[in-house]
Amino acid sequence: MDEKKAAILGEIPRLRRYARSLLRDRDSADDLVQDCLERALGRLENWQTGESPRRWLFTIMHHLFIDQMRKVNRRGEAAMLPLEASEAQSAPAEQVESIASREIIDALQAISPDRRAALVMVAIEGFSYAEAANILGVPAGTLMSRIARGREELRALLDDTVRRRSIRIVER
Amino acid sequence: MSRRDFSERDIHMALDGELPGDERAAYDAWLEANPEMKAKSARYIADRAALRAAFAGVLDEPVPARLRKVVLGEAPARTPASGSRWWLAAAAAAVLAVGGLGGYFAGIGGVGREDEAEDQLAEQAIAAHVVYAAEQRHAVEVPAADKDHLQTWLTNRVGLKLVAPDLTAEGFQLVGGRLLPAGQGKAAMLLYEDAKGERVSLFVTAESAEKAKGTYAAEADGPEAVYWLDKGYGCAVVGSLPRERLAAVAKSAYGQLLAGLNS
Repeated sequence: MDEKKAAILGEIPRLRRYARSLLRDRDSADDLVQDCLERALGRLENWQTGESPRRWLFTIMHHLFIDQMRKVNRRGEAAMLPLEASEAQSAPAEQVESIASREIIDALQAISPDRRAALVMVAIEGFSYAEAANILGVPAGTLMSRIARGREELRALLDDTVRRRSIRIVER
Repeated sequence: MSRRDFSERDIHMALDGELPGDERAAYDAWLEANPEMKAKSARYIADRAALRAAFAGVLDEPVPARLRKVVLGEAPARTPASGSRWWLAAAAAAVLAVGGLGGYFAGIGGVGREDEAEDQLAEQAIAAHVVYAAEQRHAVEVPAADKDHLQTWLTNRVGLKLVAPDLTAEGFQLVGGRLLPAGQGKAAMLLYEDAKGERVSLFVTAESAEKAKGTYAAEADGPEAVYWLDKGYGCAVVGSLPRERLAAVAKSAYGQLLAGLNS
């Protein structure tokens, strides 16, 4: 197998993790990874051997994600919202998640895509600010403010979840 | 060591390993001297650990064969139509970003399906609300003073046994109602108002073949609809209230409408 392809194969687990944190749903996340890989394979000449393909692949995937989010935002879409908390809890989990994991994953999905991507890039994927700013194509200052706002929002949502849960207990 | 003032921004930098090494000691001292900032830092550290833990398992999952095949050049070419649908999940995420109700979300699985019927109901209900709730003198055809007549009239026209819900507990009084076209049929609109003049409307039609419920907003800062469809009727509650209040109004209205329909 050629060296480039082997290096790309090695990045798939991390691409899948990043996609999962952006989209949550497993099949959708893998679809995004597949789109990314197809595009990357079509532009292999853009990547210099000897260099890790990680940043190159993350950049491609991020662009696919953000372009699509913009289109979606323009269209405006509807989401299902169960009225009863008990229904939300009985919704089939696509994977075994602890309650804490589910709450933080839900909260992560609720923050804006730009902030989510910035936060995940640094906090989960471990890129430096300079690397993340480069991949996301934004100035370092913008990246920093997205990370800071993203963290604040995430925390506020988690606090809110705890508060709501305690209200529910009182209601019963 | 140069002394400088630290701020919340430094909490993020320290957490992300971006604080210069020679500032670390001064930063730690600053954190010790500011309990509020120290608590904030501790929460962010815990959140990061939770985030990492939540996604750690993905790295250990076997790589799906279809992804491997793309790289190895064994994948059949995809047509755009049969291609990826990941953007449906992205759409759901976009709505959550607007609504900020992650905790209530039942998961993305339910969103990907075709949901034109409820979109249509919600859009009609929002359009009616936008037009009539803004009217001061001509908002309704039959005022609340003629409530019995209003209920009988709308019941006969729409073809559903309609009882105007009592939303007093939620702070809303009935203003009145009107008859509207909806798709191929008719819809009843009931308008309510609170002490501050804030209005919500109920939109009920007898047209529906499927069971669904959800929320819908045509624009991020426009009124929002909470809707239900069941076999034989569709109902939406529309307003520009804070989301939890709208949900409370909707829940109360739903219970009473349902009780009325089945009475």
